[in-house]
Amino acid sequence: MAGVEFIIGLTVGLGVCVWQHYHWKKRLKKLIKSVSNQDDRSISMPPLYLLRREVDKLDWERRQAVQERDNWQRLIDRAPIGYLLVDEENQLLWCNQQARTLLKLDRWRWGEVRLLLELVRSYELDLLIERTRKSQQSQEKEWVFYFTRHASAQDEDFPSFDNQVSSKTVQAIALCGHSFPLPGRQVGVFLINRQPIVELSRSRDRTVSDLSHELKTPLTSISLVAENLLDRLQNPERRWVEQMLKETNRLTNLVQEWLELTRLEADPTKVLKYESINVHEIIDSVWQTLEPIAKKKQVTLTQIGDYSISIDGDKSRLIQVFLNLLDNALKHSPVEGEIVVSLDSDCCKLEESREDEVSSIEPQVIIDIVDSGTGFVSSDIPHVFERLYRGERSRNRKASDLSGSGLGLAIVQEIIQAHGGFIEAKNHPDLGGAWLRVKLPCDPKNPI
Amino acid sequence: MTLFSQTSNSERTQLKRSVKQVQQDVLRMGTLVEQSFRLSHQCLFVRDIQAGENVIYLEKRIDRYYRQIELDCATLMTLQSPVAQDLRLLSALMQLVRDLERIGDYAQDITEMALKLVHYPPHSCMDRVEAMSEYAQLMLATSLVALADLDAKAGENIKKLDDTVDDAYEYLYDLLAHQRDVPGVVEPILLLGLIIRHLERMADHATNIGQRVSYIVTGRRK
Repeated sequence: MAGVEFIIGLTVGLGVCVWQHYHWKKRLKKLIKSVSNQDDRSISMPPLYLLRREVDKLDWERRQAVQERDNWQRLIDRAPIGYLLVDEENQLLWCNQQARTLLKLDRWRWGEVRLLLELVRSYELDLLIERTRKSQQSQEKEWVFYFTRHASAQDEDFPSFDNQVSSKTVQAIALCGHSFPLPGRQVGVFLINRQPIVELSRSRDRTVSDLSHELKTPLTSISLVAENLLDRLQNPERRWVEQMLKETNRLTNLVQEWLELTRLEADPTKVLKYESINVHEIIDSVWQTLEPIAKKKQVTLTQIGDYSISIDGDKSRLIQVFLNLLDNALKHSPVEGEIVVSLDSDCCKLEESREDEVSSIEPQVIIDIVDSGTGFVSSDIPHVFERLYRGERSRNRKASDLSGSGLGLAIVQEIIQAHGGFIEAKNHPDLGGAWLRVKLPCDPKNPI
Repeated sequence: MTLFSQTSNSERTQLKRSVKQVQQDVLRMGTLVEQSFRLSHQCLFVRDIQAGENVIYLEKRIDRYYRQIELDCATLMTLQSPVAQDLRLLSALMQLVRDLERIGDYAQDITEMALKLVHYPPHSCMDRVEAMSEYAQLMLATSLVALADLDAKAGENIKKLDDTVDDAYEYLYDLLAHQRDVPGVVEPILLLGLIIRHLERMADHATNIGQRVSYIVTGRRK
């Protein structure tokens, strides 16, 4: 009897064992299947062996990934552009060598987590990162980073007053930052050193203006000689000299405009002589000088808005602004077209206060000039105020019409900015023509 | 018991985070003050008028930070009841932002005086004043670094730097005050006298910042 019980017990025990083993194997297979991406053919092998193989494979992949990550990290560390990684609390997690040089991060140690502001005292960089995190969109910003030297505690001998003058306390470097939002509210920033470009463009401008200065005297004597020659010559030679004189004058104008532009840029406020001016009267007088051309083209000028608006500004310079703007508008208007100038004073409007801009309640004058031409090509709009920039197609002039120097709008912008104002170019949504909007402060001591 | 310690723990981390936030705002304000000082320097010595206009905007922003930080510190001190270093930090920060704000004010004053000074030919002692202004900037930078690093020793070092500025002030004062046969109006000399006084005050406030940092770390006032 005991033998039978023993056998039954054994059978049940074995059964349970087999059942459990079967289940365990099934789960193991399922697990392997879930981690493995191989086909079912090899699944007939012992599951433990399969598991071993999968673990080995994963381990190999992991090592591979680590290797790859290290490579990337090493690459970024030695990249010629700076890189910063900042976490959600604005702590610097990592930065590469170039970033350390650009931002003078000599107090940062590898693996140290500190507030970025503790290491780099740059409001602009902080703002760029905050904006990126808030908008969750990549941002771009150019600014000049100033680094003020500080006396470090290790220095036994402090910078004395006299050697202080020789070594620079404040250093400036022009930077361009591109920031990208990352998961976990982290932000990555690439920094590009713009200093060489800034210096290069400065030296280029200097070269060109020096050159213009040198060109001025010989050009004047050439045109004098040509004028003298004109009286003594008959056709066809006379016509050639006339052509020469015209081209020489064009060149003289270009040189003069360039010099004017350079002077305005170098010291905008010093060049201006302020007086009270009625805007409407200025535009009227400018239009009178342009009348002959306008009549030929049968273009009319319509002025709307408040005629009594007056501002403090440099009269001759503002005349030049409106001359350039209206001349442009005239050139691009079709025959029997219309130019609309609207004046508006904006004395109590509150500018939208953005985070980095203090709200302004300064009274300002808004002057809109809209022509009835075809407008700007949209790809040209960001460049229209650049020196010597010419639009690609529709606004490109015919060879016969090539009278402008390509400096007109650049001069306009420079003068407006010297007055503390602002100019923008776009196309009018309703009329379709080019739309130039000038904003000038009523009182130039309070710029917009 | 566990629940209690957990809440107190989360309160502690909450306090830590808030303190860090305030610290960050102070540093932000510091960058603005530094920039304001730099712009006033440019306005005065490079005659960059645009810089002068920017100082006014910066000043408004500095004021906003000043008020907000003071309020945040007071709120944290009453609601979170911090102890030891956190308490010292918050109370010292409240004082410290006042020093920063004063430096910003002086920078604005200097800018206004610089705009008046533009009409006169540069004075012969301008180089010394420029060196003094640069030195004061160096002191401000040093005190801001000390604040960022919470460096207790920096307070003493900055005090030594301040002596140099004081000497420069004395020297320049004598130079300006004992000038004889002044041609034309005395306004430029008056303005320069005020400017060096302002610079000396700015350096003093920078020294204060350094001392307050020492207090935060050690708890001892000197």
